Amino acid sequence: MDTMTKLSVLTGAAKYDVSCASSGVSRGNMGKMGSTRECGICHAWSDDGRCISLLKVLLSNDCIYDCRYCVNRRSNDLPRASFTANEIADLTMQFYRRNYIEGLFLSSAVEKSPDYTMEKIIKVLTLLRKTHEFFGYIHVKVLPGADPVLVRQAGLLADRMSVNIEQPSEQSLRLMAPQKTLPMVYTPMAQVRDEIRLYKEDRKRLRHTPRYVPGGQSTQMIIGATSDSDLTILQTTSKLYETFGLKRVYYSAYVPVNQDSNLPALATAPPLLREHRLYQSDWLLRYYHFDVEEIVDPVHANLETEIDPKMSWALRHPEFFPLEINRASYEELLRVPGIGVKSAQRILRQRRLAAVSGDELKKLGVAYKRAQYFITCKGIYGGSQPFDPTKVRTILAPQPQATQLSLF
Amino acid sequence: MDYLYDGSFDGLLTCIYHNYYLEKADGIYVQELYQPALLIESYSVVTNEQLSSRVYKAIEDKLSDESLHHIYHAFLSKYVDRENIILKYLRLGFRMGPRIDSYHTHPDVQPLHKIARKVTTEVHRFLGLLRFTDNGSFLHARLAPDHNILCMLADHFAERLRNERWIIEDEKRNLAVIYDGMTRNRGSKQRHWYIICLDAPLVYPAQGCDPYQELWKLYFNRISIESRSNPKLQTQFVPLRYRGNLVEFEPLMNET
Ligand code: SF4
Repeated sequence: MDTMTKLSVLTGAAKYDVSCASSGVSRGNMGKMGSTRECGICHAWSDDGRCISLLKVLLSNDCIYDCRYCVNRRSNDLPRASFTANEIADLTMQFYRRNYIEGLFLSSAVEKSPDYTMEKIIKVLTLLRKTHEFFGYIHVKVLPGADPVLVRQAGLLADRMSVNIEQPSEQSLRLMAPQKTLPMVYTPMAQVRDEIRLYKEDRKRLRHTPRYVPGGQSTQMIIGATSDSDLTILQTTSKLYETFGLKRVYYSAYVPVNQDSNLPALATAPPLLREHRLYQSDWLLRYYHFDVEEIVDPVHANLETEIDPKMSWALRHPEFFPLEINRASYEELLRVPGIGVKSAQRILRQRRLAAVSGDELKKLGVAYKRAQYFITCKGIYGGSQPFDPTKVRTILAPQPQATQLSLF
Repeated sequence: MDYLYDGSFDGLLTCIYHNYYLEKADGIYVQELYQPALLIESYSVVTNEQLSSRVYKAIEDKLSDESLHHIYHAFLSKYVDRENIILKYLRLGFRMGPRIDSYHTHPDVQPLHKIARKVTTEVHRFLGLLRFTDNGSFLHARLAPDHNILCMLADHFAERLRNERWIIEDEKRNLAVIYDGMTRNRGSKQRHWYIICLDAPLVYPAQGCDPYQELWKLYFNRISIESRSNPKLQTQFVPLRYRGNLVEFEPLMNET
């Protein structure tokens, strides 16, 4: 099989993995080629509007497992292919020199066994890092069940690692991926967490300690393949951040690829809006000091689709508003719909010089159309209507569809 | 008095110097583009690196590195009144000191922040959107950026493609950065690139089709998820005006 065909098969099989981030590591070129930037760099955007930063391919799609939601499952009859380590290293280097990519995101189906596949992944990493002296970004997938020794070896060569949790609950995982269990996912996650800490500590004392997964670890959850609620999803998310110190949890709206009575029908559209709302909630958890229970609770177990989760919270908490912009704390400012992290920081900076007026807020990047109902500036209420949650909701809800924002 | 300068950053800073020590400037313009105004005298400023470096240092000391960064990026922008935006910002800056950038909404600050941000955004975009072709003897990239960003790209590629020889060509301005691919001493900060003016676009004998270019086009097509197709979002990130130099938007040679 020629490289063209392999690339075609193994890209098609890798595209459902959402992460393509190349951020979080700042490193100069200490070898022959490559460097990384803290902010990450997007190199292209595909037809679906997703950023392409890394060469995202599978080493192999020849899987011994049979996860129900996956195109590559053993029971599917489709062309199987496996790259050699050399082929992938060569593609990476040649794409990189032409500035097509920031690096490699290498994942794989379980070919023969988790250890066999993990060893092959390490072979690719060794070729790139040692033979080609490549210093660009590398993200590798850890295969659940792989030997911890192999996980550590990979960690010493990669910038980021991820173990995909795939499903938000134990029960769904058992149903969807009969050969996988939560402990199989959590064990390597905990190992990577501990080793990141250990190597970091050592590096403080011994300058020559090698780096270990400097970009941190992430994971991915499939949304909408099972009946799990947003509450379950966000609770799991929050647990993952707290317990394993993950950098990111990615959500992937399930694209039906298999006929299966336990799965949505093949024609079902992927729940993109829901995925979008989950990402917004994830931001609230990570940057806006929200707790899961403030976003969803057993009574409102699913996110509203018409309005974003922060607005939804604000309308359920009229007692919190209106807030005086010139007195509110940073945390309070972050609670106002239409005020983001950047604009909140700008407000703080500017009001040290002079009190901020409503007009100036727009220049500071505040989405005034939404914020006006929730604030006063120098004591003056901004809204064109008095603050009444039901009214505000009808004014703000029927916005044109915001299904696709820039997420990646 | 209108000051006219040669279009270089040093030239602009020399004008700023004269604004303080010779005579207040009504405006600063690039000599070549200047359209004389009635009743305003003009003066052709000779670029003086000694004077300009004093202004440079004053910005670093009395304002901040952040200010300097904003000013330089604003200078690289395509806007015709950029010099006067910089002049106004500096006049306020030398009175206010380092706090100036907190005064985001001030009429003399906001315009500068705005155009500087446009340039920073474009630089960042092209770090990703630049495409090299391998013509057998060197890597060659063409771009047609809105702003004059070549110098901001050069360091980045000199770092990551340090063992390669490459040329990045701004086809709008007929400028090119050339990097000779000499191996640098590890850790040395010395640059090995320079910018030259071109009389005409670079041409070199055609090499036939580059297999990696075809592989990349294939990859680009295969990585997209059909049921999530969203060309509008794609256009937001990759405006049509940039696509002429993006090989992935060309059809595959042998559609398989
Ligand atoms: S192990 Fe991975 S590749 Fe294999 S069937 Fe499961 S999800 Fe698919």
